[in-house]
Amino acid sequence: MNSVDRIVLPSDVRAQPRIPQASRALPFLGVLLFLVLLGQAAIVVQARPQDLISGAHGMADILRRSFPPDFSKIGDTFEPALETLDIALFGTTAAVIMALPLAVLAARNTTPARPFYAAARGIIALCRAVPDLVWALLFVTAVGLGPFPGALAVSVHSVGMLGRLFSEVVEDMDMGAVEALTMSGASRLQVFSHAVVPSVLPSLLGIALYRLDENIRSSLVLGFVGAGGLGFQLLTAMNLFQYRTVSLLLLVTFGIVIVAERLSAALRARIS
Amino acid sequence: MSAVAPGMIEAEGLVMRYPTGRLALDGATLAIAPGELVVVLGHNGSGKSTMLRCIAGLLRPTAGMVRVAGAELTRLTGRRLAEARMALGMIFQHAHLVRRRSVLTNVLCGTLGRHRSFGTSLGALPWSEAGFAEQCLDAVGLAPLARQRADTLSGGQAQRVAIARALAQRPRAMLADEPVASLDPEAAEEIMRLLRGLASDEGMPVVCVLHQPELARRYADRIMGLSQGRTMFLERAASVTPQLISALYEGRTA
Repeated sequence: MNSVDRIVLPSDVRAQPRIPQASRALPFLGVLLFLVLLGQAAIVVQARPQDLISGAHGMADILRRSFPPDFSKIGDTFEPALETLDIALFGTTAAVIMALPLAVLAARNTTPARPFYAAARGIIALCRAVPDLVWALLFVTAVGLGPFPGALAVSVHSVGMLGRLFSEVVEDMDMGAVEALTMSGASRLQVFSHAVVPSVLPSLLGIALYRLDENIRSSLVLGFVGAGGLGFQLLTAMNLFQYRTVSLLLLVTFGIVIVAERLSAALRARIS
Repeated sequence: MSAVAPGMIEAEGLVMRYPTGRLALDGATLAIAPGELVVVLGHNGSGKSTMLRCIAGLLRPTAGMVRVAGAELTRLTGRRLAEARMALGMIFQHAHLVRRRSVLTNVLCGTLGRHRSFGTSLGALPWSEAGFAEQCLDAVGLAPLARQRADTLSGGQAQRVAIARALAQRPRAMLADEPVASLDPEAAEEIMRLLRGLASDEGMPVVCVLHQPELARRYADRIMGLSQGRTMFLERAASVTPQLISALYEGRTA
């Protein structure tokens, strides 16, 4: 190796940096293209702002008829609210149990063999690609109306979401401890339970809690397709024009969502 | 402290040709007696890590033989290889501890190879070894930190815990792959003193890959210089001159 006695910089290192002459036409074309796209979107969605204005007093009418919320029916909201929460709780727990082994198979660094990897990735992609509302429609057809198809829909869709996130956590894991324990003579399963599990557990718990919070919100909507809970009550009240019941149900929904969000965030903050 | 008799490490004519065709190691021969500390020097890509990994049984050499405490690693496969490899403790550039677990738990994990059971496969720890694990921690001077979480340790402390974990395995020889490369000078001295002690006091053969010729000359019994896979020298530390070392590091451009 030659030692460097004196640094001789090439002359243009000290020259003023020149701002590259970017083509000005390119951003202009980009903006134009976007405006064209936006224009066709406005036509396709039949955006007519005047309808909002002419419909304003219809809306005001609904608001007037929704007020005040019918608090006498608060006792009746208890059971559907519990149902909504339980759909999310049951669905998320079932999803976590199914997603864990799938994630281990679907992570490049822990999968035992290529075919398992491909199969696990495929299952995860399918569960995730189909929205939970569509899963709910399918399950309502299969097992009938009620909270159970809702819980099934939540869990199948969550398997997809959790499986993907879990496998990313496993892939990002520091493999050093795995190598060190393997070298010390620990078996594959021992390495898994003593090196892999403790390093990924907190992240997995955080993701699962976040998923539970999301699932509480989506189980509210699932009621609209007949999968029980507050959503189903909301739909019924709307169809019967009981707007004061609707506003009460919306208030309850709002309360549940806020509390769930706060609780989940607080728990996640404690874990990390 | 180690109840098991130390064994010799013998490597003969190790050749490693990677599937890419690169010849990483070209006939390395080295025998390390119990109680001896051999430091391997050489620039990046000289084959020193490859040699260590061949000895550790992590890589299978293209040709040559590795024998550890009488067992010929290069002939064994699968379960038999894993069992024979347990005679070798190994530490790496980074401590590779499980960060969220306690120091003592990390050391206990070193004993897992001896406790293959249903329970330990599902995450239970072999607590019957807790006393022994504490002795191992004491050997590296960190017994007071046993209950602390591993991610609260400094780099030097973490590396000492890694040594304690390797000791918990009851090894008959110790391998170290650039163990001080990411430590400050003071912590590096501490780790080198520990490795020196394992050789001198416990009678283990120790092979240590280093980047610091100066540390090598102070701590090693013998120094091996590798360049482009070839052994440039293998001499007693006292007879390795600065000229020999600078020739080793200039070998690349020559």
